[in-house]
Amino acid sequence: MADEFIKGLGILTGAGLAWMVLAGWYQTESFESTSQFFDPAPEAANLFDTIAIALIDVFAWFAILGALTFWVLIPAGRQARRAYNERRESS
Amino acid sequence: MTDTNDKTPETDGGEEVRADGTGIVAPDDETPTWRERKERTTGLSRLTYEYFERARREDQDLRQESTYVERDVLGFPTWPHETIRNLSIASFFVGMILFLSATMPPHIGPPANPSSTPAIILPDWYLYWSFGLLKLTPINPELAILDGQKIMADRTYGVLANIVVVGAIAIVPFLNKGSARRPVEEPFWAAVGVGGVVFAFTISVLAVQNLVPIAVPLLFDLTFLLPVVAGFVTYAVLKTMREGYMYDLNRRYYRLRPPK
Repeated sequence: MADEFIKGLGILTGAGLAWMVLAGWYQTESFESTSQFFDPAPEAANLFDTIAIALIDVFAWFAILGALTFWVLIPAGRQARRAYNERRESS
Repeated sequence: MTDTNDKTPETDGGEEVRADGTGIVAPDDETPTWRERKERTTGLSRLTYEYFERARREDQDLRQESTYVERDVLGFPTWPHETIRNLSIASFFVGMILFLSATMPPHIGPPANPSSTPAIILPDWYLYWSFGLLKLTPINPELAILDGQKIMADRTYGVLANIVVVGAIAIVPFLNKGSARRPVEEPFWAAVGVGGVVFAFTISVLAVQNLVPIAVPLLFDLTFLLPVVAGFVTYAVLKTMREGYMYDLNRRYYRLRPPK
């Protein structure tokens, strides 16, 4: 269980850090404004920009879904399988 | 155990559990309910003793099986144990600082204009609570005996509120020595603590009321209601956690203090 927690936390913080950097580069007009990280992304000027702008959403969803997978889906699946096995053995 | 491939779980002693009353487990029809176990207190000291004795014995066995040379020391040596750990932690944070300062350098704005006063003046965030206490104007009572006048200016009232809050915090150690090792041991004082923490937060929010998208009267009410609600919830949760047989056992465990 602790392993699953640290996997989820590692994904959340690691991917969140990468998302924060890229969104800070491309989707933040100013760090003194009230809208940060969520401005519309600009037109990509070159290949690196294209890759980075595409990776923003990839990192954001990886942070969210990865943490949810390890904290919710996998433990719930194990519980469900254990409950299913117990019920099958007892009957 | 005739079939070695199909291992069933065993108790610590490796003996088979006999449920007919001859072993340490009560026979099935005499197994006490949880309510009965909670009400039974006489056998608890014996149970506690057996629990500790088993734990001590397991510890002793582990030490004897271990290849680690036991030295007569009180802790781990600084080198390499503590040093390596501290180095890795320090490296992580230094690396984080370098990474963030390299990838997201802060925007340096124009220099402040000393001849113009900003519209909103706030102290540093950790003093918001005190700043919020200066905004208690709605509860400065207008006394009928004084023809609806206030007995003191609102600013005096705010300063006195600071004294009241600091005084209340200073009194708490005299009311409760804090011998509990975890909140569940003293739910009331844990609730008081949670209420205080929540109040520190809500009064800080009140201090920046013009930045909060809530009507000021509602925000003012929430400032004093939320701590009470949080305290009640904490008390209820902790009281509920005290229910149960294992809590009594654990309380005995944790009440064993090293002799002075």
